[in-house]
Amino acid sequence: MNSKKNDLKSLELTVGDVFSKNARLKARNVNVFYGENKAIDNVTIDIGSKEVISFIGPSGCGKSTFLRCFNRMNDTIDSCVIQGEITIDEENIYDKKIDVVPLRARIGMVFQKPNPFPKSIYDNVAYGPRIHGLSDNKEHLDNIVEEALKRAGLWKEVSDRLSSPGTGLSGGQQQRLCIARAIAVSPEVILMDEPCSALDPIATAKIEELIHELGNEYSIVIVTHSMQQAARVSKRTAYFHLGKLIEVGKTKEIFTSPKHNQTEAYISGKIG
Amino acid sequence: MLGYNRAKGLVNLNQKNLHSLTHYYGIFCLLSALLPTLGVFFIFTICDDLVFAELVKEYIPNEVINSKDYNFTIVLAQINNSVEGLVFGTPPQWVTNAAEIWKSWVIKSNILTMIVCAITILTSGFLSYKKIHSEFRSRNAVEKIVMTILGVSSVIAILTTIAIIFSVVFESIRFFALIPYDEFLFGTVWNPQFEGAERAGSGQEGLSQYGAIPLFAGTFLISIIALCVSVPIGLLSAIYLSEYASSKERAFFKPLLEVLAGIPTVVYGFFAALTVAPFLRSSGSMLGLDIASESALAAGLVMGIMIIPFISSLSDDVINAVPQSLRDAGYGLGSTKNETVMKIVLPAALPGVVASIILAVSRAVGETMIVVMAAGLAANLTANPLDAVTTVTSQIVTILVGDQEFESAKTLSAFALALTLIIITLGMNFYALHVVKKYREQYE
Repeated sequence: MNSKKNDLKSLELTVGDVFSKNARLKARNVNVFYGENKAIDNVTIDIGSKEVISFIGPSGCGKSTFLRCFNRMNDTIDSCVIQGEITIDEENIYDKKIDVVPLRARIGMVFQKPNPFPKSIYDNVAYGPRIHGLSDNKEHLDNIVEEALKRAGLWKEVSDRLSSPGTGLSGGQQQRLCIARAIAVSPEVILMDEPCSALDPIATAKIEELIHELGNEYSIVIVTHSMQQAARVSKRTAYFHLGKLIEVGKTKEIFTSPKHNQTEAYISGKIG
Repeated sequence: MLGYNRAKGLVNLNQKNLHSLTHYYGIFCLLSALLPTLGVFFIFTICDDLVFAELVKEYIPNEVINSKDYNFTIVLAQINNSVEGLVFGTPPQWVTNAAEIWKSWVIKSNILTMIVCAITILTSGFLSYKKIHSEFRSRNAVEKIVMTILGVSSVIAILTTIAIIFSVVFESIRFFALIPYDEFLFGTVWNPQFEGAERAGSGQEGLSQYGAIPLFAGTFLISIIALCVSVPIGLLSAIYLSEYASSKERAFFKPLLEVLAGIPTVVYGFFAALTVAPFLRSSGSMLGLDIASESALAAGLVMGIMIIPFISSLSDDVINAVPQSLRDAGYGLGSTKNETVMKIVLPAALPGVVASIILAVSRAVGETMIVVMAAGLAANLTANPLDAVTTVTSQIVTILVGDQEFESAKTLSAFALALTLIIITLGMNFYALHVVKKYREQYE
């Protein structure tokens, strides 16, 4: 009952439908503080199963901070305090009983800059399965690596040089390697923090295509600065401004007929 | 300073069409006035003694020059002593006279130096001052002057290194003329005596033996013990400091650890000889082990403690330089902190860590004081860390300390040892660079 009331409170702030029918991740009244600074203000949103949702908004609006709440990456920042509730499959991820290690295996993350480990391509992808003990023998591990690389659309390009360093690949290939690395541990959700901002248009197109395909199997949350990208890859879009979630809705509707005037201002290029 | 101000004043008047910023003209004036003056000053100060030495010859009486035990250097020293006011006994009258004349020359030359310096500073200042007009590219000129100064400094450093190596090489060649190099390199007994020179003449077997192997074995035994202590402690403390410690702890511990690097090695020597060695000896006798009071173990342990800050401080810097994005990637995949550090951060930092260890090794190999004080001088060829051993550096010290006749094989052997040591450390450095490069290719 109590949570229903809170939901209504936050609805006053957010325009559009924050709820999803088969929600996998649920954020309820989330506040994030950096010391005294409130970075996220009372955000409530559902992220559906096998849904691609994009977070857009001007720089510093808190979308990346909010994204990092989902796999508790903010834990590494000492001054960061998180209030509210985030659940994955009805389990509160900030519950004391929850171990952050398996959680992060369930919720993978791809970062803004491609950050392959200074290891071989094979070892990069095999890293996750190894630390989580997902395979007992070499053959199985080979299969996992091959499968992940294939899904990331990188297999054809690197199958003959799996032992060469991952850092020797081009920027776009590196980012796809990072995606392969993330899906190798078979997560349920993939968080992407501006995955294409360091890439050229062709590499970006490939990644977007990949996101499109992966959206059939995973829930994907993508933070992006490019509205075109949000329009191309996602079914739903959430607009953040100054730590508040302003509007959520079907991507088409947000971009064609935004309901909130701030969203409209951003879409038409007046803010940001 | 005068040139600087004048240039600035002039420049301020017609600032409109200047090529460079005003202060470049000022700096140019300053540099071009000061540098030649400094040069002239040094030339004068160095040369005046030489010139005086030539001139003073006139004042030495002929009968002194013609006497059979005449030595100009000694006579010159006599005169110089007299000039300085150091008089032993009663010097002959001509020495006192020469000294008086020498003194008057010194005063004259000082005045002359000052005058010439003043002229130089004025003329070169004036010349550079005249050069200043709106077309003159003083910025480029200043760049050139600065570049030359920097270049000269690095050339001096390089030349000194080469000079050191050559001085060692020439003395070593003299040594190898007396002792065959294969005996030196592969001999297993080190027992230098003073019949070395005589022995080379007669070709007979003397008592002296110059087999350097025990010395190098001792050096490496002690270095290895030192590394066994310092690499784990240094590396682990670096990992703790850079990855686990809070910023407060870090601010407290890091300087404290670096204090270790500031302790003079002589003090470590005391510590090894007076504290560690007796402790090892008494605890060894409790266990029924016979530990020499000057043991390789004591020296190695203390040397290891001395090296810790080199490894920990450098490794800490290298580990800190690993980009945060790699750690994020590790955490994002669900690694624990330990997994992230061991499997991601450390491999990425490995080239730097290896470099810091190599630096530590060269410190250990070249270290002298601790070994002289704690490890003894007995050239035993042994792998037992409880025995007394000696190292290359401590042998060099013992050989060269005190009055020695320079022609003997014993004295010259110090240079041969030094040369071998230089070659070995150089080889190690090259190998280290090679290793670092290899890892870098793999990881970047």
